[in-house]
Formats: sequence, C-alpha cells, structure tokens
Amino acid sequence: MKKVLIVDDAAFVRMSLRCILEKDGFIVVGEAKNGFEGVKKYKEFQPDIVTMDITMPEMTGIEALKSIKEMDPQANVVMISALGQQSCVKEAVLLGARSFIVKPFKEEHVVKVLNQVLSI
Amino acid sequence: MSDENMRESMLDMFIFETSQLIEQLEQLILTNEKSKCFNLPAINEIFRIMHTIKGSSAMMLYDGISSLAHSMEDLFFFLREETPEDLDLLSLCSLLLEGVDFVKDELEKIKIHGKCTGKSESLIKKIKDFLNTLKQKAPASHLTQEGEQETLEKQQYYIGPDKSAAAGYNNYRAVIYFEDGCEMENIRAFNIVHNLKDMSNEVLYFPEDIIENDDSAKVIKEKGFEIFIKTLLSMEEIHKFFIKTVFLKDLELRQLEDDAQYKETGKKRPIQVEQVPIKVPVFKEDYKMGEEPEEKGSQTAASQSIISVNVNKLDKLMDLVGELVISEAMVTQNPDLMGLELENFYKSARQLRKITSELQDMVMSIRMVPLVSTFQKMNRVVYDMCRKQDKEVKLEIAGEETEVDKNIIEQISDPLMHLVRNAVDHGIEPPEDRRTKGKPETGKLTLEAKNAGSDVLLIVKDDGKGLNREAILKKAVENSLLNKPAEDMTEKEIFSLILFPGFSTKGRITEFSGRGVGMDVVTKNIEKVGGNVTVDSIEGEGTSITLKIPLTLAIIDGMNIRVGNARYTIPIMSIRESFRAEQKDIVTDPDENEMIMVRGQFYPVLRLHEVYSVKTDISHITEGIIVMVESGDKTLCIFADELLGEQQVVVKTLPGYIKSVKDIESLAGCTILGDGSISLILDIAGLLNSWGNKISTI
Amino acid sequence: MKGDVDVAKDTMRELLEQEEDTQKGKFLTFSLGNEFYGIEIKYVTEIIGMQPVTEVPELPEYIRGIINLRGKIIPVVDVRLRFKKPFRDYNDRTCIIVVDIRDVSTGLVVDSVSEVLSIAEKDIVPPPEVGKGFSSRYIKGIGKVGNDVKLLLNCNKLFSNEETDELNKI
Repeated sequence: MKKVLIVDDAAFVRMSLRCILEKDGFIVVGEAKNGFEGVKKYKEFQPDIVTMDITMPEMTGIEALKSIKEMDPQANVVMISALGQQSCVKEAVLLGARSFIVKPFKEEHVVKVLNQVLSI
Repeated sequence: MSDENMRESMLDMFIFETSQLIEQLEQLILTNEKSKCFNLPAINEIFRIMHTIKGSSAMMLYDGISSLAHSMEDLFFFLREETPEDLDLLSLCSLLLEGVDFVKDELEKIKIHGKCTGKSESLIKKIKDFLNTLKQKAPASHLTQEGEQETLEKQQYYIGPDKSAAAGYNNYRAVIYFEDGCEMENIRAFNIVHNLKDMSNEVLYFPEDIIENDDSAKVIKEKGFEIFIKTLLSMEEIHKFFIKTVFLKDLELRQLEDDAQYKETGKKRPIQVEQVPIKVPVFKEDYKMGEEPEEKGSQTAASQSIISVNVNKLDKLMDLVGELVISEAMVTQNPDLMGLELENFYKSARQLRKITSELQDMVMSIRMVPLVSTFQKMNRVVYDMCRKQDKEVKLEIAGEETEVDKNIIEQISDPLMHLVRNAVDHGIEPPEDRRTKGKPETGKLTLEAKNAGSDVLLIVKDDGKGLNREAILKKAVENSLLNKPAEDMTEKEIFSLILFPGFSTKGRITEFSGRGVGMDVVTKNIEKVGGNVTVDSIEGEGTSITLKIPLTLAIIDGMNIRVGNARYTIPIMSIRESFRAEQKDIVTDPDENEMIMVRGQFYPVLRLHEVYSVKTDISHITEGIIVMVESGDKTLCIFADELLGEQQVVVKTLPGYIKSVKDIESLAGCTILGDGSISLILDIAGLLNSWGNKISTI
Repeated sequence: MKGDVDVAKDTMRELLEQEEDTQKGKFLTFSLGNEFYGIEIKYVTEIIGMQPVTEVPELPEYIRGIINLRGKIIPVVDVRLRFKKPFRDYNDRTCIIVVDIRDVSTGLVVDSVSEVLSIAEKDIVPPPEVGKGFSSRYIKGIGKVGNDVKLLLNCNKLFSNEETDELNKI
C-alpha cells in the first residue's frame, strides 16, 4: 500500500482526494494546509507520493516542491493545478514534479496519474 | 464509504468551506472598503479565496459559481500584478459584494434543492468590463491572463551534455497521443521532453511552441505530439520510457534508419539551436508572498485543531443525552427503591448523576457558537444601508465572543438584522441634520452582547433621533392599540407600543426597513425562542433595544403541573408566582370571564382543563392551584390541579405531522418525564396570544 | 466522479427494487368493525398494543395524541375516526400499527390486526369512481382474496393535508 500526503489549502479538495485515494487502496498519511505544513509533514511521514496544490497561503506549492526536492531528489510530487496555471506547472515540471492533475479532476484521472507515477 | 455518501459528505464540505470563504471574503471587502485601499496581502487573500472556490465549485459541477469565481480571480490577478493607482474602489467593492451575494444565494439553493440555477453571465460581464477598463488605463501590460506569458526565447531543442554527434546513437521518431480530457497537453508534452533531456543527446519536437503557446495543446490533442530523439538508448529502453507516460492513449514509435533520415524529417521544422537553459517565468506570487511580512488585517486562518460536525449529529447526541438524563432519573428514583436502605447504591447513583450532568453540560457547550459571525454580518447591512441612504454610520461591535446555542443563533439573525436596519433607516439622521444638531456627522451604532445568568442580552443602540413619545401615542390611538389611558402609561410602556402588531407605519416604507413587516415580527421571533424585547429611548439622543434570549432551547427549567391525567410543563422563566386562590378574590364579569385579584390588581384566569378540554375532578377554583405567568407585559393566571415539581426538561418538538395539521401556538413542544410519560410544554407567549383576546379587554 | 455516483444510484435503485419485489403484493390486513383493510407491508415498521396516549389540544378528534415510542415522540391517528366511523372503546385487541411514510413515523389505531396476505396485481381492482363514503378517498384499490374483500389503503393520502386549511380556520 502506498502512502500519500495531500497538500492543499482547500478542505474540500483534501477531502475529495482522500475519498478517491482511500477508495483505491492508498493510505493517506497526512494532510497539509499549506506549503510549510507540506514540507514538515513530508519529513515526518516520508510518503511515497505527494499531491501538491499550487496556490496556497504562506508557502506555495512551487516553493514546497522545491524544498521537498532539495531534501529528497527522488520525491514523487504530483501537482494539482487549476486550468490557466500553465506557467506554474511548467516551472513545477522543471523543478522535478513528476506529473500533474488539472482541477476539476476526475476520480479515475487522479488514480491513474498516481499509479503511473509510482510505477516509474 | 459508498459513492452516494461520498458525494453527500463532499457536498456538505463544499457548502461549509465555501460559506466560510465567502464570509471571510465579505469581511475582507468591508474592512478594505473602510480603509479605502486594498493592500497586497488582502489582494492575495481574495485571489486565493476565488481560486479555491473556482476549483471546488468546478468539481461539484456548479458552473455558475465556478465561472464567476474565475472572472474574479482574473481581476485580482491583474490587481496583484499591476497594482493600478486610480482604482475605483467603490465600484470594485460593489462588484465584489454582488458576487458574494450571488454565491450566497446559490449556496442557499444548493442547500435546499441540491443544485444551483442562478445565471452569473451578466455579473461576469460586468467584472470583465471592469477589468478591461483597468487594463486600458494601465501602462502597456505584459500580462494576458493568469499564466503570464513573458517573452520567452523560442526553444524546442535540447542538447545533452555530450554533443558529439558520434556514432552509436540511435534515432527515433515518436508520436504521442494523450487521453481525452487530461488537460494541458502541451505541458504534459513538456514534461516528457524535460525527462528525455537527461537520457538523450538531442531532442526535436513538434509542435515546437509548447512552452510559450498554450494553444499548442489543441494541436497535440488533434495531431499528437511528435518527437525526434537522438539517444544511446535501445528501442526497448526508449519504448519503456514512453509507455510510462501518464495519460498515454496511443504511441507510435519508430527507429529511424540513419542520421540522414533523422535530419531529413527534422529539417522540415524550423530549428533554433541554442544552448541557453530553458527559462520559465517565475510565478511572481511566490516571491511577493515571501517578501511581504504577514500584515495585520490579513485573515489567514490560524491553524486550529477544530473539526466540523454535522448539526444533525449534535441534535441526535443532545437527544441521547436527554434520554440518558431521563433514564438516570428513572433508575435512581425508581419506586421499587422506596423505603430501602441502600447506602452504596445511592453513593453510586450520586456519582452517576454527577457524570450525566457533566456530560449534559459538555454537550450543551458543544452546541454553543459565538455570535461573532452573526454580528459581522451586520457590517454588510450597515454598509449597504449607508450607501443607499447617503448616511454615515460607524458600527461598533462588542461582546461578539458571547456564545449562544446554535439553534437560537439561527432564530435571532433576522430580528437582529431588522433592528440594525431600523436603526440606520429611522434612527440615525442624515449628516446635515446631525450637523445642525451639533452631533458628529457619522452616526454611531453599537451592537453588544453580554451574558446575564442563563440569558444573553443583545443590545442594539444608536445615537440617532430617538423615539418621540407623542408621535407614538398618537399612532397608537389611531390604531386603537391603547388598553389604558395614555396618562397612566410609563415611558417604557409607551415605547414598547412600537413592538405591537399593527403599529408599523405604512407611510414610511423604504427599501430596507418597513417592508410591511414591523417590530412586531422581531418581538414574535424573539418570543419564539423564549426571549423578550425591551425598548429604551431618549428623544434626540438615541434608542436602545435590548433582546433578552435564553442561552439554549434544548433544555429548560420547567415546572411540571397536572390537570386530570394530563401533565404540562411551564418554563420557570415565565412563572411569576403560584398560590392557592381564595374565593373572595375571584370575580366573574358579565361575559363569564373569571378574574382574580392579587394585591389589588385584577388578572384573568385561564382554566387549562377548560381550554384544553381535559377531564378532571378539580374544578373549583379553591381546590386547585393558580400559576401566575407573564410574557412581555401581559400576565395571566393559569388554573391547574396541582404542581408536580420543578425539573430540567429536554425540549422535543411535536411530530411534524401534528404541526402540519395545526400549528398549536400555545405549545412549545413536549418532553418525556421520568416515568416515561409525555408532558406538553406550554408556550406562554403563544398561550397569551391565542387565549389572550379576553385579556386585553380588562 | 459523476459517473460513479450514477452507477451507485443505479445499484441502489436495483437493490430497492429487489427489496420491493419481495414485499410487493404483500399487505398487512386489519379490521375496523366488519370491514377488512390492507396496508402495504413496506410502510409498516412495527405493531404495538394500545398504550396511554398523551392528548394534544386543539387537534381534530381523529388525532388521538402522541406516544413515547422508545424515546421517539410519534403521533397516533385513530383510523376509525379518520374514516368518520363511530368511536369504539379500546380493548385488548386494539392495536397501533406504526407506519413509516416518507420518513415520518405515525401510529394507526385499528380494532385488530389480522394477518399478512399476498394479493396479486390481477386480483386488485380500482375503487368505484364515485365513492359515497368519506373513506373511499383513502382507498386505492380493492383486493379480492377468495370470497373476502380487502380495502387497500392509499397511505400517501391518509396523511395528506387537504383538510389542514379548514382546521387552521377553527
């Protein structure tokens, strides 16, 4: 079973992702409301994969991604982006994000991306 | 968790979170409006709120909300990047508030019907127009939309670390098709190219403008993404790489014969060979956010260990605890125990009682909610009123941390809003009047909450023109509301006339207050939750209206009484005294109405067994008991068989079927007594209303 | 996600249909004087003996009041009086049938409960067009079982609020 960390400032999105992932056999080891928490919880839980929102207060997903990648170059981070955030996603890809999911996301897409990324 | 449940809990979460965000947004707008500028943290905050709402509502397929949020997000993106100088703050605020109202309305609809129906197009257009005007004013902008596209060097070409076009390299051509609906195909393509970079010597691709042109996604969607690779990897390895592509629908992979073919096919495309590392615009927010210290006023939610619980669950818990309290009484006061010496039993029973009562207190406290958001809503009310009426009013809030039962909060929100509107509309004078009177032009409205025993006092106080005694009396006479000579009335009694039904002045209907509903509606709503309303005023100096409401509705202190076989519970707070009547004090008027004299005053007598048609042996007035009750300024003497004793009772509502057949005004609900029997809880205000016609004649 | 929700809905519907199938055509029969009535079994949650009813004032006579059913307060309707038949004293055969219609529990007081019967669709005929009695409004069909006739209740109509307005005028 794969451990997932969900980083998103919207409780609604966190809950949706948790529902989807738990249904599909992932273990959601933690949720974080912003980048800082995300980085902190990454250290704490050492998840197999992270879903990372981009626009968040205090520390954005991009900055959090950067910190996580500095800590663990092998980290699997999947960005959760909104339509229209192309440039941020590009930056995330350059910084080492494995893939990304576009909101509003479909259940099967989320599962597929995470499984695909973990299989690499 | 079933899908059905999942959707439901997601919906709950959506409504909860979005309502919170919208409220936060509203407060932000109003604070910034007051300070006459939007500072950067506020703009960031609003941008983020809109971003979140956009995402969530799109997931729930509420397109109206989502596209509105999107347009606002765009607007705030522009504000954040450009910080235009001459911003029309008023129009901006009213646009935003319009949006806030739209989302609020939609949320209400979602709560009721589970779907939203509103059309946000016209509002979106207004927002877009506003944004366009701003853009025209702004110096040549380098922005288009959110994903800002700074001038990028055209690059579609990677050169690996070792550029020697030595032998041993394989050339491949791959065409990749992505699954439908995976979105941002160009970035997915970019992701592939980025990953290929480390394992190949040279990469060419088409369409080549995947980074700078997001429309290239369309091309990829239709024609696929074509890549030419020069690499040391074998066919097998490169194949393995490609099939791991996320959202891969179809892959064409072919090894090219030789360099010539590679160059041939590759040459068709315009190629720029540069070795500049790819540059991607940096998302500015990150750095701005980093530089700006968190300023005061930005309402970033502090991390709290709070969970949200469905109110229904709390109601259910409350019910269960109520049951427990009853069961506990049934066990410890069981008639079978009568006369037994059970020292240890009673010791344990006392412990049980202590725990149940602590549990009860705890559950009650869970249901308590601070008044803060109810009070903050009034900011908006005052804001709207002032703008429409050209008045200046400063709203001061105190004691907003006072907690009240959730059910009561819902009941008092409307009355409170009505009072605030009334105060601004009728109380506070226009600035010029205030100036001539020597008052500061800006009126002051105070909203205060404080605890008073088991009650909470809410005070709405203005420094406006106050109530005019004579005008009130005149109107009361016109509407024949007086039940005693005007000269016998105290100031308080006169002022409280404005709370009577039928007093509301039809001549002064404005958009806000006096829409046919008057103060009597406020009184009625407050009395419904077992509270009351009092009015104080000094002409020329202002009016103060006090709402006294109980802390909770769910458990009340009651006096149980018996009439025949029936039991009733009267809320203790309505009882003034109880006593046995003496025949000499009883008077019967020509209409057969009984009255009783107490300390020289006459009060009407209501025989419960008569009005509720209950059989009882006790019909003589001296045999039973008189309970004197009051509500507002009315008093009534209830005649019952006997008092059974005081007890805390858990209020249960009457079954919906009964309410649908008839709304019984004189009953507040029912409760289960220790022996399992049901007692009906009397609503004294309702009782006075429905049987009080004869009272006013006295 | 929407797709899955739809799938779940379909499954739910199927399950419900299946359950309904096993309950379909089954009626709990009870008597009021000489007449026998049937009520669809799916509405019935339990049958209890007569118990003390707390009277609620200002209500029409057929609503006898409320009872405490394990902590839940439910209204009790006397079906005799609802059908404008004369009141008969309650005895040890008198029963309360607790029904759950659209999530609302209500107790129905009847003279006595008989049995659960299966009545095939073909044996059910619609009530005569012009019902003379007041009660015909609440009958949605007449079931034939051997030589007996059962009047099948229309539960939704039984608690409809057609008369509410009249009552509120009182």
